[in-house]
Formats: sequence, structure tokens, C-alpha cells
Amino acid sequence: MNAAEWHAACDRRLAELGVDPREARRLADDSAAEALASGLHPAELFGPATAYATSLASAARQPLAAPLARARGPVVLRLAGVTKRYRRREVLRGVDLVLRGGEVAAVVGANGSGKSTLLGVCAGSVKASGGTVERAARIGYAPQQHGVAPYLTPDEHFRLFGAVHGMGARKAVATGTRLAAGLGWRPRDTVAGKLSGGTQQKLNVVLGELDRPDLILLDEPYQGFDQDSYLDLWAQVYAWRDAGAGVLVVTHLLHDLDKVDHVLELQGSEDR
Amino acid sequence: MRKQWLHGFLDLSLLCLLAERRDYGLGLGQRLAEAGFGDIPGGTLYPSLLRLEKQGLVQTDWETSTVGPRRKYFDLTPDGRAAAAARAAEWREFRAAVDRVAALAEETA
Amino acid sequence: MTLTIAATSLREIGRRRAALLLVIALPLAFYAARADQQGQAIRFLALGVGWAVATLSLFSHVNSRHLDRRLTVVGASPSALLIGRQAALAATGLAMAAGYFGLIALTQDVERLWAVAVLLVTTVLIAAPLGAVVSLVLPRELEGALALLAVMATQMLADPEGTLAKALPLWSTRELAAYAVDPVGGEYFERGLLHFAVVVVLCSAAAWTAAVVRLRPQALPQPAP
Repeated sequence: MNAAEWHAACDRRLAELGVDPREARRLADDSAAEALASGLHPAELFGPATAYATSLASAARQPLAAPLARARGPVVLRLAGVTKRYRRREVLRGVDLVLRGGEVAAVVGANGSGKSTLLGVCAGSVKASGGTVERAARIGYAPQQHGVAPYLTPDEHFRLFGAVHGMGARKAVATGTRLAAGLGWRPRDTVAGKLSGGTQQKLNVVLGELDRPDLILLDEPYQGFDQDSYLDLWAQVYAWRDAGAGVLVVTHLLHDLDKVDHVLELQGSEDR
Repeated sequence: MRKQWLHGFLDLSLLCLLAERRDYGLGLGQRLAEAGFGDIPGGTLYPSLLRLEKQGLVQTDWETSTVGPRRKYFDLTPDGRAAAAARAAEWREFRAAVDRVAALAEETA
Repeated sequence: MTLTIAATSLREIGRRRAALLLVIALPLAFYAARADQQGQAIRFLALGVGWAVATLSLFSHVNSRHLDRRLTVVGASPSALLIGRQAALAATGLAMAAGYFGLIALTQDVERLWAVAVLLVTTVLIAAPLGAVVSLVLPRELEGALALLAVMATQMLADPEGTLAKALPLWSTRELAAYAVDPVGGEYFERGLLHFAVVVVLCSAAAWTAAVVRLRPQALPQPAP
């Protein structure tokens, strides 16, 4: 790979990662000038082009300003004594939570402790056996599995979900594309079934926030998610929060729990 | 181990070096090496500088020289200067704490 | 929204090239195998079309189960989802049926050609909701496709006068085929249409009830601030 090819590969990768084309060009030009000044081959100075572009893209996505001052909004989710029983198995026992706009709640617990069930209860797809659930009407929902249609392209997903939210096709695609860039991804004309696991998860997350919901219910993706994508996702969670949404995240890794507003630890099921 | 530590402290180190004087990328790399950090690959150094720039702590400008090619110089912004001082103080506190527990291991060894 | 869902479903069906080709080829194979006996050929072709459309419908509903749940949670209407998907399936089926109708018109000298058109249309209209109903009981592609094959095979083999045949969904196809091909009276046509009407209403009602019961999210009250 000669120097020009290296820079082209770097530029391409930056664009793939959703960096604004002008910004990508500037970063690539800077790198070229830096390499020229050093008299080194770019691969010698920066390492492999794609790896370097990935680091650059991640650094470039840092927020420009300090986080917005947060105002806690109205209650978007209130759980009081929520229980869920499947026959004799008690999956959720007396879950309480008050989540306001501008707050993040992390749901943690071992596998099988009812995390996904709780998410389903909040979404309304699972009926609670007891207790009360009050919830804002406009929600975004990104389940862990089967959240996307394997035979549809990302743009078709945007249009479909946009139609449900009463958005025009063009606006839905524009919004989806912009949100994808925030997660370091530029959607292309490939059906979802052929996207990598990590990219499918990004699509899943983007669909969950398409309508600027008041409450976002997110089953944190972990399969096929690399470290950078993972950090981007959490940056996104805080961005939603700063924009005033309430976020309920089911999380599998204990990531910076001191940064979230509520931690809900589920105890797990019990056979009786 | 050192590599992981460096990852956490590279931003701080760069802020401190820039607090001393403005510099260009390769110059910063050399000064880190002289300080005892070893060779820092450009693939680590430049993204760090970009991140600091995006955070508004570092500003850049291009300088053409009469002898060599043009170079990008990095300098602290007023925010960067404040951040360098604050983080250096935090680091000294943290280092003192680690020193105290490390001393325990040396005493018992 | 129903329109978007129908358009989206059409695209999904179109992208399952292998499945689409196979279900188009099956009725053709049935037809070719019996091309020498007019009545049998048309009957088998129609049952083949029924199986093909029902299978496509099954695939479509099995595949969209989780997505539909997600869509209803954020506000999509279960009825709109069902109607949109069914419309796409009916459109695909009717396009297929039109092709086969052309084939029959070209290769056979049928007594009542218009009745062939009626029989193909009724078959498609039964098959689309039938696939949806089967997807409720057998929510997996392979099992569902086999079950549909069993239903169709039984329909082909069972004595059309027996109770078993009349209880199966495509009995009307046999009656209408007889009316189209053989010199029989109008009672075949009437019986066929009546059976068709009953089956379509039953299948559609079952599919719709199930969609609403399964997909409609819990009504959750808004929290007090």
C-alpha cells in the first residue's frame, strides 16, 4: 500500500464510520500533511489505515461542548410493586421505580433475573401479574433480539418505523441516517440480514430513537458489539438523557454505574 | 500494564507538555519519549490530540517554515490551561494515595 | 401506514428469491404432471397455487412476528399490520394466478374459462389468511410448510363427497374446478362460492382475532408528573 492508497483507505473508513464528509476530508488532509512533515510512510507513523481511522472517528465524535445542564423533567415511567409470575415461577417481585425525563435507570442482574421481562412490562408487550405501571405514551423500544427485519434495508426500516410514527418517508430516512452517524455508522443499501451483528444492533438502536421519544427502553446489545461501539452507545444514552428523555437500559456489563441516576438490581426468579 | 496506564494518562501528559510550550505532533512524541514514556505510536498520539481539540482544550494552527514542510502546531486554550492545572493537581493526590499503599507492599516484602 | 406495510411486505417477499421460485414452480409441476387430463390438471394447479400462497403467507407472518410486536409497542395498529401484509400477499398471489390463468387459456380448451379465473382468485383469497392462521399454531417455517403440504395433499386425495374433504379449506376449489371443466350444473358453482365465503370469513376472523389478541400492547396509563 503506497501513501496515497493509505490515505484513501483512511478517508473511506472515516466516511463508513459516519464522520461528516468535510470533517473526514480535513482529518485525512491533516494526516497526509503530518506524514509528509515527518518524512515517514503513514503506515509507519499512524499504523494500519483502518485502525487509525477508527480511533480518529471515535475521537472526533467527542461532544464539542460540556454536557448540557440537565433539567429533570416530568415522570415518564412509574413502577409500583410490579410482579410477574409465569405459573409457579416468580420472575419479578415487587419492582419499584420512578424515572423522570433527563434520567437514566440501569437494570442489572444475573441472566434469567427477569431483566428482559421487566423491559417487556414497561413496553406493554408483557402483562404484569401485579402492581401498577404508568408510562409516557411516546416511547422508543429496542429489544435485544429480532428487533429488525432481515429482508429489509436500513432505509426501508426507517420508512416503516417512520410511517408508524406518522413521519414522511424522506424525513424518516434523513433522521435515521443522522442518528446512525452518531453511532459511527453510515447505512447502505444492504438488507439487515447481511449486516454484521454490531451493525444490526446499531440499526436496532436507531429505530428505537427515531421519533424523539420521551422514554427509551433499551436492551443493551452486547453480541457483536466491540468496545468502541459500546462506548458510543453509552455516549448516546447520555445524549438522550441530556436532551430530556428518560432512558431505561437493561445492561449486562456494569459500566460506570455511578454515572446513571437509578440502579435497579433484579434478584432473579424463584421456584415455589 | 504500562501501556494501559499510559492510555489513561496520555491526555493529562499532553496537556502538561503543552502547558510548558506549544509544539507539533512529532515534537510532542519526542518529548514524551524523553520523559520516559517510551515510543508513543502516532496511531495513539494523534487521536488523543484530536480528542483534546474537540473538547476545546487544545487549539491548532498550521505554520509554514522556510526550510521544511508546513506543520500543525498544538497549543492550549484558556480552558486547556485550567484543565491542565486541575488535572495535574488531581493526579498528584491520586499518586500520593497509590504511593502510600505501594509503600506497604515494599515494607512487607 | 397500511400502505407502507403492504409495500414493505411486497419487497420482503420479492427478496426471498429461492422460496418465491420454488412456490411458483410447484403449481407448474402439478399442472405439467397432469396436463393430459384437463380437469385434474386445473384442479392440481389450483391446489398448488393455494399451497404456494399459503406458504408465502406463512413465511411472511412467521418472519415478522417479533418485528410486528415491536411496531405495535410504539403505536402501530395490529389490524393495519395484518391488513398490510395480507394485501401484499394477495397481490403477489393474484399476480401469480394471472400468470397461470394465461397459461391455462393458452394450453387448454376449457368449457367455462371465466370460472377458472374465479377459482384461482378464490383460492388465493383463502390461502393468504390460511397461512396466517397456520403461523399461529406452528410458528416455524419448516413445520408450517409441512402442515400446509399435508392439508393440500389430503384435499387432493380425499373423496370430494366425504365430510373430511368438505371440512378442509380448499373444497371450494374442487367444486369450482368441476364447474369450470365438466358439463355440470350451476349448483357446483353455488356450493363452491358458499364454501369459499364461509372459509374466507372464518380464516380472516381467526387471523384477525389472533393478531389483535397477541399484538395489542397493554394499555398503560400516563404517569402523573
